Amino acid sequence: MLRYFLKRLLEVIPILLIVSILIFLFVHMIPGDPARLVAGEDASELDVQLVREELGLDKPLYEQYFTYISNLAQGDLGISMKTKRPVLNEIADRFVPTFTLTLSSMTWALIFGLFIGVVSATNRNKWQDYVGMFGAVSGISLPSFWLGLLLIQIFSVKFGWFPTGGYDSWKSYVLPSLTLGAGVAAVIARFTRSSLMEIMKEDYIRTGRAKGLCERIVVWKHAIKNAMIPVVTMVGLQFGFLLGGSIVVETVFSWPGMGRLMIDSVAFRDYPVIQAEMLLFALQFIIINLIVDMLYAVMNPQIRYK
Amino acid sequence: MFRKSLILVLAVLMIASGILTGCSGSETKDTASEVQSGQTEAVKKEDNTITIAVKDNLISMDPHDTNDTLSYSVQKTMMQGLVGFDKDMKVIPVLAESYEGSDDAKVFTFKLRQGVLFHDGTPFNAEAVKVNIDRLANPENKLKRHSLFALVEKTEVLDEYTVQVTLKEPFGAMINNFAHPAAMMHSPKALEKYGKEVGRHPVGTGPFKFVEWVPGDHFTVEKNPDYWKPGYPKIDGITFKPVPENGSRVAMLQTGEADYIYPVPAEQIEAIDGKNGIIVEHDPSIIVRDMTMNTMKKPYDDIRVRKAINYAINKEAYIKVVYNGYADVMDSIIAPNTQFYSKQTPYPYDIEKAKQLLKEAGYENGFETNLWGNNNSDTIKAMEFLQQQLAQIGIKVNVVPMESGTRAEKIWSVQKPEDAEVELYYGGWSPSTGDADWGIRPLLGGDSFPPKSYNTAYYKNEEVDKLIKAGLKTADYEKRKEAYEKVQKILWDEAPWAFLCVNQTIAGRKAYLEGVYLLPDGSLSVDDAEIKQ
Repeated sequence: MLRYFLKRLLEVIPILLIVSILIFLFVHMIPGDPARLVAGEDASELDVQLVREELGLDKPLYEQYFTYISNLAQGDLGISMKTKRPVLNEIADRFVPTFTLTLSSMTWALIFGLFIGVVSATNRNKWQDYVGMFGAVSGISLPSFWLGLLLIQIFSVKFGWFPTGGYDSWKSYVLPSLTLGAGVAAVIARFTRSSLMEIMKEDYIRTGRAKGLCERIVVWKHAIKNAMIPVVTMVGLQFGFLLGGSIVVETVFSWPGMGRLMIDSVAFRDYPVIQAEMLLFALQFIIINLIVDMLYAVMNPQIRYK
Repeated sequence: MFRKSLILVLAVLMIASGILTGCSGSETKDTASEVQSGQTEAVKKEDNTITIAVKDNLISMDPHDTNDTLSYSVQKTMMQGLVGFDKDMKVIPVLAESYEGSDDAKVFTFKLRQGVLFHDGTPFNAEAVKVNIDRLANPENKLKRHSLFALVEKTEVLDEYTVQVTLKEPFGAMINNFAHPAAMMHSPKALEKYGKEVGRHPVGTGPFKFVEWVPGDHFTVEKNPDYWKPGYPKIDGITFKPVPENGSRVAMLQTGEADYIYPVPAEQIEAIDGKNGIIVEHDPSIIVRDMTMNTMKKPYDDIRVRKAINYAINKEAYIKVVYNGYADVMDSIIAPNTQFYSKQTPYPYDIEKAKQLLKEAGYENGFETNLWGNNNSDTIKAMEFLQQQLAQIGIKVNVVPMESGTRAEKIWSVQKPEDAEVELYYGGWSPSTGDADWGIRPLLGGDSFPPKSYNTAYYKNEEVDKLIKAGLKTADYEKRKEAYEKVQKILWDEAPWAFLCVNQTIAGRKAYLEGVYLLPDGSLSVDDAEIKQ
């Protein structure tokens, strides 16, 4: 498996190269002159021209691409047009808050989602199922924007237990991670429930039951393992999306993460930052996919790698 | 086996998030996070530092290379210029004790305050001023605010505390350019040490010193114990926090996590004013809202059509709908707090007259047109209101909200005025120098067509251009005043815009915090901040 892992990791390089070209073209195709946006609307033509030269935007596109790629090859992501800081610092500052928020949200979501899913599936059409699924449907349907503001009103303004936002102590994680995790937990619960119910219809489960295994063993030892495969795929995807930064939650809770950086950099046509973020985003998905594939093998040894 | 691995994965996730959370939760101690619950009793402040929640992220701490008001607000806590603005946008001396301009508005001499030190110990003197002005005036440095000082020919040190700036040609509004926050002074030592990175390491002469900047999260300054003005500052430090979401910003003020917030959305004023020890303050700004009409295009080349549109809009209703009443009807092309403002008579709301004018112009049955603007919710609300108003006189308006980059492309990529697609454009303007020149020339000057500047009305009038030049040629207050009075009258009668409103600045503060206020240009002043309880 290690060889497979390394092989897949090497495959990442050409993919990233292609992605980088696409990103470059795509970013330069968005309408809007970064020099004008960076200089500001009340800037005079002279100021805009100076900014354009400063940013190297007066050079032909192929030259800009060449600079971009050769810098990239040396691990240099460029300088942010807007803040004039190295893009690497800009992103590094924002990655950690998003990563930790994603981890904490995912932890909540996995615990609640799996628990509710399994309970619902094993108590099909009983009150536990109805309560669980009611919760899950609510979790999916509540806009995180609204949920976030509601939590702030209740737990910050009314009770004063948690801060309204920011990125300070463990306390500041509670509300945003709950908000972000709610939707994911709901999706996990529903996926787990339907997948588990599907598996419970399989022949080998009936065989197990016929052999007189107790229900607990049937569910936990034989059914869940297989039921988890689609769930893991879905969790991987969700993880990837959350790592891209949840713009809404980061905005509501003033979280200094990737989502807000992305919005800001797109609004300013901050090419180097957009490019680097998209590249990172692609890389994250590739790695998560890889991890998901590995997990498959752990869960079902019948899935093999060559 | 699976159960074990699941447990393992969960455990790892939890530990990892625990550790990472632990790491990140350090430094910033926020006394206010011991939150007060929502009671109405007088709220007490524990220590002598304050937190200010603002709407956007900060961009740069290099005033010479900044163009957003918010970054300027924060810079002003640490840095100062030769002159500055008071509460009403009048020019006042700051690091200069006195100044004078020659009659031909070409030579400006400043007598400097003595005994002032930069935060790094460098003395403030004529040499330091020269270094800063030279930096701004040199196009090689590619600074965003170069154009304000592009006219500078040379800066001379006359003696240790006297400096003289000579311009290439007369420019009557120059003293306002010096008062612009772009002209704040860096320590020459910091400029040398940090070079282009100086925007991350602000060293000035102001009441507060830079402590740390975590982009997207907070910016902290502390009291400068050696500040030249005795008895100031009265607080120990300030933390600025960018909080983009209106509701969250208001909640921070309610919980006491923030002591001052701005802007406060107009629709929330009633809900918070007077509760939890909160006071909401609103004052007229110098930001004007208007709808420009492309005067080169039919039917807006006809003055009767432009006037008809002005008569067809109920400005009071507009202000109620879009700004919950927190704005004032515009009565000149510049706002009352702008230097040389001269009051005109607003076009009254008169549908019959509007219809009559349209008929005279040959558009009895109205016409169809496009209205461009921003895609934020306030602008869309405003544009829809205008759509409804103009429908009353038979004009069918298509509202076209555009994302900022697209909008910029549509407006500034146009090289020849004939190619401009813009018909109606909803926009706003804040003349950051506080002078009539910057409120008129970039918007309505004959050589300000995009991409050069912001004249989206493509308005050109020789008389106006002559008066704009006359206003710039001299530093004589009376002469300038006369020129701008005439310009304002002509522009008002010619109606290249639908004149809408002057915005108000709206901020919320805790009752114990005094001395923090917004200037009419929307920038913040904290020099007099004081906690009184």
